[in-house]
Amino acid sequence: MTKVLLKKQLMEVFSWLYQDKKNGKNRSKGGIIGFSVLYLALFFFLGFIFYITAKQLCAPLCEIGFGWLYFALMGLIAVALGVFGSVFNTFASLYQAKDNDLLLSMPVPTAKILIARLFGVYAIGLMYELIVMIPSVLVWFLNAKITVTGALFSLLAPFVLSIFVLTLSCILGYAVALFSSKLKRKNILTVFLSLVFLAAYYYLYSQAYKVLQSILQNPQRVGNSIKSILYPFYCMGRAAEGNVLSMLIFTAIMALLFVLVYLVLSHSFLKLATTDRGGAKVKYKEKKITAVNADNALLRKELKRFLGSPNYMLNCGLGIVFMIIGAVALIFKVEAVRGLISEMFTGYMQIVLMSATAAVCMITSMCIITAPSVSLEGKSLWILQVLPVTAYQALKAKLKLHLRLTLPSAIILTAAVEFVLKPDVKFGLLMPVTVAIFVLFMALVGLCCNLKMPNLTWTNEIVPIKQGMSVMISLFGGWAAVAVFGLLYFVVRKLISPFVFLVIATGILVIGSVALIRWLKTKGAEIFERL
Amino acid sequence: MLKIEHLTKIYGDKKAVDDLSLHIAPGEIYGFIGHNGAGKTTTIKACCGILQADSGKIYIDGTSVQENPLAAKAKIAYIPDNPDLYEFMTGIQFLNFIGDIFSVKPQTRQERIRKYADLFEITDDLAQPISAYSHGMKQKLAVISALLHEPKLLIMDEPFVGLDPKASHILKDLMRELCNNGGAIFFSTHVLEVAEKLCDKVAIIKNGKLIKSGTMEEVKGDASLENVFLELEGEQ
Repeated sequence: MTKVLLKKQLMEVFSWLYQDKKNGKNRSKGGIIGFSVLYLALFFFLGFIFYITAKQLCAPLCEIGFGWLYFALMGLIAVALGVFGSVFNTFASLYQAKDNDLLLSMPVPTAKILIARLFGVYAIGLMYELIVMIPSVLVWFLNAKITVTGALFSLLAPFVLSIFVLTLSCILGYAVALFSSKLKRKNILTVFLSLVFLAAYYYLYSQAYKVLQSILQNPQRVGNSIKSILYPFYCMGRAAEGNVLSMLIFTAIMALLFVLVYLVLSHSFLKLATTDRGGAKVKYKEKKITAVNADNALLRKELKRFLGSPNYMLNCGLGIVFMIIGAVALIFKVEAVRGLISEMFTGYMQIVLMSATAAVCMITSMCIITAPSVSLEGKSLWILQVLPVTAYQALKAKLKLHLRLTLPSAIILTAAVEFVLKPDVKFGLLMPVTVAIFVLFMALVGLCCNLKMPNLTWTNEIVPIKQGMSVMISLFGGWAAVAVFGLLYFVVRKLISPFVFLVIATGILVIGSVALIRWLKTKGAEIFERL
Repeated sequence: MLKIEHLTKIYGDKKAVDDLSLHIAPGEIYGFIGHNGAGKTTTIKACCGILQADSGKIYIDGTSVQENPLAAKAKIAYIPDNPDLYEFMTGIQFLNFIGDIFSVKPQTRQERIRKYADLFEITDDLAQPISAYSHGMKQKLAVISALLHEPKLLIMDEPFVGLDPKASHILKDLMRELCNNGGAIFFSTHVLEVAEKLCDKVAIIKNGKLIKSGTMEEVKGDASLENVFLELEGEQ
């Protein structure tokens, strides 16, 4: 029975490989091979990044007799990645699995269900952890003096270490689920935390070199810290050097942790798995109703959809935050930027201004709010089709939301650029106009593409938001459009000034936008009605 | 109130609805019966303007659905068999959205929401996101949203599926109330007992074709509707 449960759990964990989540159908053999190759390539790509880090650390630390520190440090990175990869799935896969009711209704002991679930979490954690540990062990084998037991233990250690990933995932996953179930503004907080995480990631990434240098300069201090605070990692490092006792202690600690987690979870599993936690129930209290017209009602609806989905906000509206951050950064670094420009681009101010406008346009094209907006109607599309509103009214609301969210931050960024670059009046007036027209054009491109390539049969909103063709075209189309204009300028650079070129480019964008609006009003509206 | 003239809808090679004509007068509850895939939902969706007819005309209170869809849609309300509502909204937000689209005045809206939400016992849940609603609660919310602008014609696809017995009873009363006030109802159902008890007229559709229609007496005579339906199903 355990074998059957474990097999089912593995099938569930790796269903993304053989099942197309867009339509729920199994992939063809070619599809499975293609996907496997793609994911292996991704695995190797990520692994290569950690290989570089491992290479920088391993040889110098081994040379001064701190080989164990290298292994412990890589283990720490692996644990961080493993927990990051599995923590968000842990609670759902342990307690909110769709087949909990089915399994609990069958003659399957609860303990076996829990073990199968934990095995699934262990497998996900291990998968992520191995992205770090495979290149780390490889580098270890290439640089350290390996004994037979050392080789054996360094191969075994990642699998034992994954138990620690499982333990942390269970604890953190439970805490995350408990915390989020008590929150009222969950969506906004999710976006905020994701942004904080992203910022922390980029900060750490930018500081990685410094951290590595600091470790290499003070191995004794770092080593002492790990030995006293993170003793199991010290043992793991020593085990990789071939120390049998350390391997035993490391394994015993991990096993003890697992037993503790299992005991705690088994105590609460049945109760938690059969309790509908839900969110805090808010009782309706009658309030004064403010009526709005149909156009504003549609716009409000679009805004609620946007704010109601962290996925939508993060994937399609991240550019808004980047633009604000960019504006603030420019103002803070004003002297440095001005210094750089006067040093490198004296006499080319018009080109600098044109390039800056292009750069702002490229950043604005990271906002792709319209691109999945038709697909996101999904199965509720019938509502718009049955209401007394025109198709164009419904589409216009999507367009308006994009413009109202993107334009203010785009203009703020443009103003910051102008504050730094101090353009003349004519350029100063043209820049925000060009940016605004570009934002309109890209919003229209996203909307038209999505009308031509909608996906209304999704079961998870992430599919149209992340995998839609219209999203891809909008995201890269903006950059491509800027690149094409750049190329055009290169061709005609001797004939016209950057200012005149920017006027012409803006004119082309206006013509394109007018054409797309006309298409939306006629053909696009017709398509929407027939979806 | 609803006039369907020679409606035909084709999907590929298949005629989902074949030259169907129907007339529903004000004050009538009209039941639409047929086996799965007979063409009921296609007909209903064409009446609501969701699907475009390949040929034929549909009029709602004299307004052509094809030529003046907005005016026609303003007179109707539609409740689908599976109410996929906006899950990112709360119940009250959805009702206000519908009220805004149909320009229902705030005070009237407030009174109607209070009346119907109390009737269906979901007042306390109106602040909850629709994603947290059960199928039955979504169905109740869809019914309330449909009644919010006092439509002249209420079109429903299997409206009793998912409703508890009390809610079904309330809906039947509301249907009769709407018809007594000069409105009309066109709904599909598989529950023949409901159709028999509730409908003034009934139409039976098979393979896209209307095989029998008229008042309940005209259709079933002294037999039960179930027997007539099964007999007609076998005959064709």
